[in-house]
Amino acid sequence: MDLVLHLAIVVAIYSIFALSLNIEVGYTGLFNFGHVAFFAIGAYVSALLSLQDATFSLALIAGIACAGVGGLLIGLPALKLQGDYFGIATLGFAEIVRMLLQNQVAWTKGPMGLPGIPRPEIFSWHFDTLPAYLLLTLGAAVLTFLVIGFLTLSPFGRVLKAIRDDETAAAVLGKNPFAYKMEAFVIGSAFAGLAGVLWAHFITFISPGDFTLTETILVLLIVVLGGKGTLWGPVVGAAVLIFFQESVRFLRLPPEWSGILGPLQQMIFGLLLVILMIFRPEGLIREKGKETIDRD
Amino acid sequence: MKRFALIVSVFSLLACFSVAPLWAAENVKIGAAFALSGSIAVYGEGFKKCVDLAVEEINAKGGINGKKIEIVYEDNKSNPKDCVSAVRKLITVDKVPVLFGPAGSSNFMAAAPVAQESKVVMLSAQGTAEKLTQAGPFIFRIIPSNSKQGQRLAKLAFELGYRQLPVMYINNDWGLDLKDGFVTSFKKMGGVVTDIIPFDEKKTDYRTELLRANKDNPKAIVNLTYINEGAVQFKQAFEMGVKTQWLCGSAARAPKMVELAGKAAEGVMGTYPSVIQDTKEYKTFKAAYQKKYGDDKIPIFGDYNYDMVYLTTRAIEKGGYTAEGIRAALPAAAKGYKGVTGDKTFDENRGMEHADIGIWIVKGGKIEDHKK
Amino acid sequence: MDSLPYYLQTVVNGILAGCIYALFAMGLTLIYGVLNFVNFAHGELIMWGAYFLYLAMAEPFALPLYAAVPLALGMTALLGAAMDFALFKPLRKANRLTLLIAAIGLSFFLRNAAQLFWGAQVRTYGFEIRQGYRWLGVSLTPQQLAIIAISLICICGVYLLFFKSRMGKSMRALADNLDLARISGIHTGKVILSAWIISSLLAGVGGILMALDTNLNPEMGVVNLIKAFAATLIGGVGNLWGALIGGLIIGLAENIAVLFISPGYKDAVAFVIMVIILLARPYVVTDKRTD
Repeated sequence: MDLVLHLAIVVAIYSIFALSLNIEVGYTGLFNFGHVAFFAIGAYVSALLSLQDATFSLALIAGIACAGVGGLLIGLPALKLQGDYFGIATLGFAEIVRMLLQNQVAWTKGPMGLPGIPRPEIFSWHFDTLPAYLLLTLGAAVLTFLVIGFLTLSPFGRVLKAIRDDETAAAVLGKNPFAYKMEAFVIGSAFAGLAGVLWAHFITFISPGDFTLTETILVLLIVVLGGKGTLWGPVVGAAVLIFFQESVRFLRLPPEWSGILGPLQQMIFGLLLVILMIFRPEGLIREKGKETIDRD
Repeated sequence: MKRFALIVSVFSLLACFSVAPLWAAENVKIGAAFALSGSIAVYGEGFKKCVDLAVEEINAKGGINGKKIEIVYEDNKSNPKDCVSAVRKLITVDKVPVLFGPAGSSNFMAAAPVAQESKVVMLSAQGTAEKLTQAGPFIFRIIPSNSKQGQRLAKLAFELGYRQLPVMYINNDWGLDLKDGFVTSFKKMGGVVTDIIPFDEKKTDYRTELLRANKDNPKAIVNLTYINEGAVQFKQAFEMGVKTQWLCGSAARAPKMVELAGKAAEGVMGTYPSVIQDTKEYKTFKAAYQKKYGDDKIPIFGDYNYDMVYLTTRAIEKGGYTAEGIRAALPAAAKGYKGVTGDKTFDENRGMEHADIGIWIVKGGKIEDHKK
Repeated sequence: MDSLPYYLQTVVNGILAGCIYALFAMGLTLIYGVLNFVNFAHGELIMWGAYFLYLAMAEPFALPLYAAVPLALGMTALLGAAMDFALFKPLRKANRLTLLIAAIGLSFFLRNAAQLFWGAQVRTYGFEIRQGYRWLGVSLTPQQLAIIAISLICICGVYLLFFKSRMGKSMRALADNLDLARISGIHTGKVILSAWIISSLLAGVGGILMALDTNLNPEMGVVNLIKAFAATLIGGVGNLWGALIGGLIIGLAENIAVLFISPGYKDAVAFVIMVIILLARPYVVTDKRTD
């Protein structure tokens, strides 16, 4: 039972994380390879505040805000770049953030990480049991889903897709691509921060090693597998992949196997990404209007 | 697509159900979150050997109240995040009331809040950072802390005639802790610390740090390092032609370090919570280890792990096989208890009351006690 | 107060690292030039090159060095060709981002495959450690001298190939304009294969040299990819000499930088340089065919 709750919570958190990336990747065509940096910022800011006895509400808001601001700061220079250069620049930024977290030991305790992050308490409700925490994350996930759904189904979302498909045309029609891209980027970053806050308070221990390229690849895979540019895609992708990844953790295996299981799992993820790109780049849930155009 | 989703769901469900109810009915289960893979697996494997030896002996004598002890091992992959997962899994899936914690003060301290929150007893046989047990009353350690080590290391430096030296330390709780202890003591004695250089774990190239430490050709360098890192550092220092007296802490005092570093480790000295090996208890332990494993090179901290098993057994016998019972019974079980590593009485912070610090030196490819 | 040998040693270390980075960068920029995409799995070619040698020298093969090295390099070239055949060729006409994601996935796969076989811990070739020679207070071990020498030989080899041979000319033609080259009768398939082989060989040699200096671990590909990419950017995409100079600059920059900042940031130096270049010259870097 604990296993199922644990899985559900992680799926919910990663759904938020994937939905946030999808706004950038799927709708706006921004291939952000550094998305984990905002997850990390949300996690660290809220954790540090909580460990200083700040209330959870404050930590939550601060985490989301700092992640959003981070998106603003990084987006300003990076969004001037095209296509895969943007991807590589964001990747570089994410690694720089991670190295800062690792080396500024006085602020972040560096590689030793932050243990003992307290479970949330909102208006004297303690979310320290698994079912309670599941309620919290489900609530957040539903909220994220609704907000992002609203945004993407609105005219705003249509402009984003237009920019993704043909930026020049969108510009000609009078839309400012840079402004729209920036908005999408900041929104995506903020929600990633939300996912990070929920993660930190669930696992109760974070360290810079939790926020590497591997996590970016995982969330990218979720978005791509599930179907970018759709609302349900990221959620489906999260459910499928997290099930696979986390349930294996709870198997009763001889300890000698654990050295093999980890890399094997990751190999399958890498392979999955490759196979998807060759055979089905649009993912499980296809975007409406894209059934005939799957190579551009 | 529907078929794909079906296959995936079936697979996932199968995966869930393989968490079969454990049929090990009447065994006394104790958890152990050791590093069985990854960079500090060299520590974890040694611990497992000594723990297994102790368990074998106890079970041969009838176990605890007739029930056999079973250790449930969980690999913590040598990183703090997986330590947290491993401990969590032992608590939620295996439901153990007591468990042996991971090596590495940072790793241990990452997982300790989890045990404390779930009110499960967690013991450390090798974590020497000062604040190791701060997570709460369910956390114990049976090895003396760093505070005495820092003082002794400073004293050693002075005895050997060094008044000025740089300090390199591994960037984790253990290193940070010991560095602070050393620097405070050394300065109080009138010594001068010329540079403080933290370095990351698990790197393969420390030449930058070594170059900086060796900048003014100091006669001695304090290097608070682990086994793998130390081996790399001593080797690279040798290649760079660095000639200095290395002064280390307890974590590098391992046959494995000497094996990896080869001749570059010759002459390295350090402090460690010492264990008098001349006692009857130690000799019996050493003989039993030799009989089971065929050599008498006791792995680093293996002796402490051996004691940890016996101590836990006594606590279970006294207090019952529940977390609260064990927690309450531990101080009484340990008071005056002479394990192979000496007197195991707890102090008020659930650490060790008694601490002897010895000096080790690498001579002729072997680790020996330094005789003055 | 700081001694001259201290700075000299830093510069020497920088040149040493720079030679290896130059090899990496040249391999990367070659593929970038001919096929117009960043091979994100190049780091893994580097890493596997090093591990192939380890494999050849360990039980049960236990080959002597002069046999093991060609074998290892051969296997690396095979891996590179296989990567192209299995993955990049089918995606030749695909969206650039699809290619990038596929390459990232492949790199992830290869990295974990290495970890599966050899574990995450550091491995070493096990050559005897020797004290370095000392000139002017600077220390260089025989192995480090060999690294510099071999790098120079490879660089000369690439120069001869690229500028003095017909294959090199064909490659330059492809880099300039793929379709035109095809029309003018150049066997694009053969040329692309040759580019992959050379790129893989450069990666393999670089990986072996790097592992010689700092031992092997499965993560050694990723960080070096970024450094190679930064070097490529400095020199200009597709420019072999630029890659060489870029590599040396990165090597020197990171070693000199840690004289002033904490050694923990050493790898960050290449990242920062890369980001700065990307931002400072956003239009120049896209002057290769964009789509």
